[in-house]
Amino acid sequence: MSILVIQILNSLFYASVLFLIAAGLSLIFGVMRIVNMAHGTLYAVGAYVTAWLMGKAIALGVPLGWLFLLLPVGAGVVALAGFVIEPLLLRPFYRRAEEYQLLVTFGLLLILEDVIRFLWGGMPITADTLQDVVPIMHIGGLVYPGYNLVVIGIGALAAIGLWAGIYRTKFGVMLRATSQDRRMASALGINVGLVYMSAFAIGCFMAGLGGAIIVPSQAAVLGMGVDALILAFVVVVIGGLGSLQGALVGALIVSFVRTAGIQFFPEIELAVLYLIAAIVLLIKPTGLFGNA
Amino acid sequence: MDKPNTVDRRKFLSALGVTVGGVGVAGASLIAPQVVKAATEPAKGKIPDTPYKTGHMTFLTGPAAVLGDPSLKGHIMAAEEINAQGGLLGKRKIETITADEAAGTDANVKELRRMKLEGKIDLFTGVISSGNTPALGPVAEELSLLTMFVDGCTDFLFDVAVPNPKYTFRLTNIQSADGITAAIGAAQAWPQTRKIAHLHPDYSYGRNASEHFTLAIERLLPGTQVVSESWPKLGTTDFTSHITKILSSEPDLLFTSVWGGDYVAWYKQALRYGLFDKMKVATTLAFGVAPHALGKDHPEGVLAGVHSNYHFTYPGGDRWPINKSFVQRYFKRWNEYPNFQSEGSYVTLHMLKAAIERANKLMGGWPDDEMIIGQLEGMGFDTPSGYLYIRPDNHQGYKDAVTGFSKNNPEYPFPTWDQNRIITIPIRNITAPANWPKPGKGHNESTAAANWIKTTWPKSVG
Repeated sequence: MSILVIQILNSLFYASVLFLIAAGLSLIFGVMRIVNMAHGTLYAVGAYVTAWLMGKAIALGVPLGWLFLLLPVGAGVVALAGFVIEPLLLRPFYRRAEEYQLLVTFGLLLILEDVIRFLWGGMPITADTLQDVVPIMHIGGLVYPGYNLVVIGIGALAAIGLWAGIYRTKFGVMLRATSQDRRMASALGINVGLVYMSAFAIGCFMAGLGGAIIVPSQAAVLGMGVDALILAFVVVVIGGLGSLQGALVGALIVSFVRTAGIQFFPEIELAVLYLIAAIVLLIKPTGLFGNA
Repeated sequence: MDKPNTVDRRKFLSALGVTVGGVGVAGASLIAPQVVKAATEPAKGKIPDTPYKTGHMTFLTGPAAVLGDPSLKGHIMAAEEINAQGGLLGKRKIETITADEAAGTDANVKELRRMKLEGKIDLFTGVISSGNTPALGPVAEELSLLTMFVDGCTDFLFDVAVPNPKYTFRLTNIQSADGITAAIGAAQAWPQTRKIAHLHPDYSYGRNASEHFTLAIERLLPGTQVVSESWPKLGTTDFTSHITKILSSEPDLLFTSVWGGDYVAWYKQALRYGLFDKMKVATTLAFGVAPHALGKDHPEGVLAGVHSNYHFTYPGGDRWPINKSFVQRYFKRWNEYPNFQSEGSYVTLHMLKAAIERANKLMGGWPDDEMIIGQLEGMGFDTPSGYLYIRPDNHQGYKDAVTGFSKNNPEYPFPTWDQNRIITIPIRNITAPANWPKPGKGHNESTAAANWIKTTWPKSVG
């Protein structure tokens, strides 16, 4: 029984991070119609920056509880990067065909991967001190790291915050208007350039936050971004690219199915996610919540 | 097949030549070699002073750069040392061009051709991935290019892809030895083990480790059963569900071949789930990737494998001066400790140098590749990790397998081996002998080693 509870918590934990990454990817596509290949690597940048800052802060003797403040800081750094990347790299390509946008974001992926290696080297960077700030919980005869519950909480808050931001604020209305008809929005006096830049930065913030909250539990390692990108694609294929609910439901499906695969069918752990994605593509090519 | 014989487990382990401890019988095979003469004899005959070009292919980008980086550093250091003495035979300076192995197997094969045809390399070396050596080996043979692979340790290379190598050599140990070494270490340390869980990256290395570990443990500790398996993708960093599953199967022992950043992420999570309190853990590569990648929080008493190959603390102290001096020079040059790739690529160039010098002594002048190959075949060489022997039939380097148990040592900021519990196994006792049939020749096992174990190893009792 306690195993079941812990596996459910494990799935929610994994879903939280997946949702943060996939929601950013979906938001950027929904508003800007760009499939950002570098999105996973921005998640990795969030992880590396946070781990690096945490190492510095611990060396300076900052009280451990304050380290939590570094999570939004790490995400904020990635958002700032988004503010720079959008006008400089992406804006010149909006009028070009999609393959140019794919190429330019893929190029960005390669550049960022090398920047990470150049700045932080090949060794994994850990930040697990923060994990030990939160007490370990006892479930049945087993232990469960309390920090994972914090991650689940942050994932839930981010989902609510994003939903409220998009459906309950004026900025959200502008965002949705721009995503539906860019020229009409522009004619109505919306600063489309600013909306694009903000949307991209919010997407980056989500990815960075995903990296920041996962790094105390795991480690910042080379290649984590590409791995995350592939999983995020599976999520949005299942949920529907451009849909927030899709990202949420997709992340939950992927996490629970993955956990079930690990627990019951270890031999097909790799295949099972792609299998679901393939089935969804066959039955509903736009994804569960996507519209063509 | 007949029912295998049975034998007492202790006798079995001792028949395998397993020794435990920093000193003792293991030391017997490590007789400190004579100090290299300071002034080497001048080369015989006329030696050209054109550079000797080497192509070093390794992972320069991507996650596997954690292994590629030390490989290149070992190569560069050896080249610098040889060049400081004037070069090969005192005349030919070693020049290196590099290639990024992360380009993928097809691109790597093209790059090998380009390096030979355009770059005019004399030696091809490096290579880490087991997926690449079987593709590169046949091309090197076709190009008649002297090739000394450092790693890419799959049995498949010399079992199947290049069964009769002429130009191709490989220096580090054989993949199947990893699983067998871990099994012997676990059986020796924890003979009461009955229930075993497996956690391996889902690609050839993990499959090979799992298969050979199981083959060996079934004979060393009959009656054990596999209670849990997990096959995460290579590059996985979330292991929470795997760990919970392993805990749910309540094993006595977990055997894992997860490595690199994956291993770091795994052990950090396993610590918080209390995994190490509930079972023993045996690994093939915990200490293999980089000594300094792990933290002091890494639990003690884990069987911490190094690819059955090399950890810079063994042979330790003054017992084997070659290692002490290599580690000191490497640390001075790179400000970090070497791993098995550093040692492998360092040894590669020095072994080449020795082969060229011997050939020159015999014939005079610059030796052609055939003469160098003739010297490399059957060569025994004192390396930092111990005595390395190149078997003439398959051009594979053989040296005694080694593994140990993690322990925190105040001397280093990361865990190292418990010097009193290092396990060494003569490599001939865990690898198929020279004339053993290769896969497809009378049997269909995945490796010659697997067939050899199934056919010849007894089952132990007690």
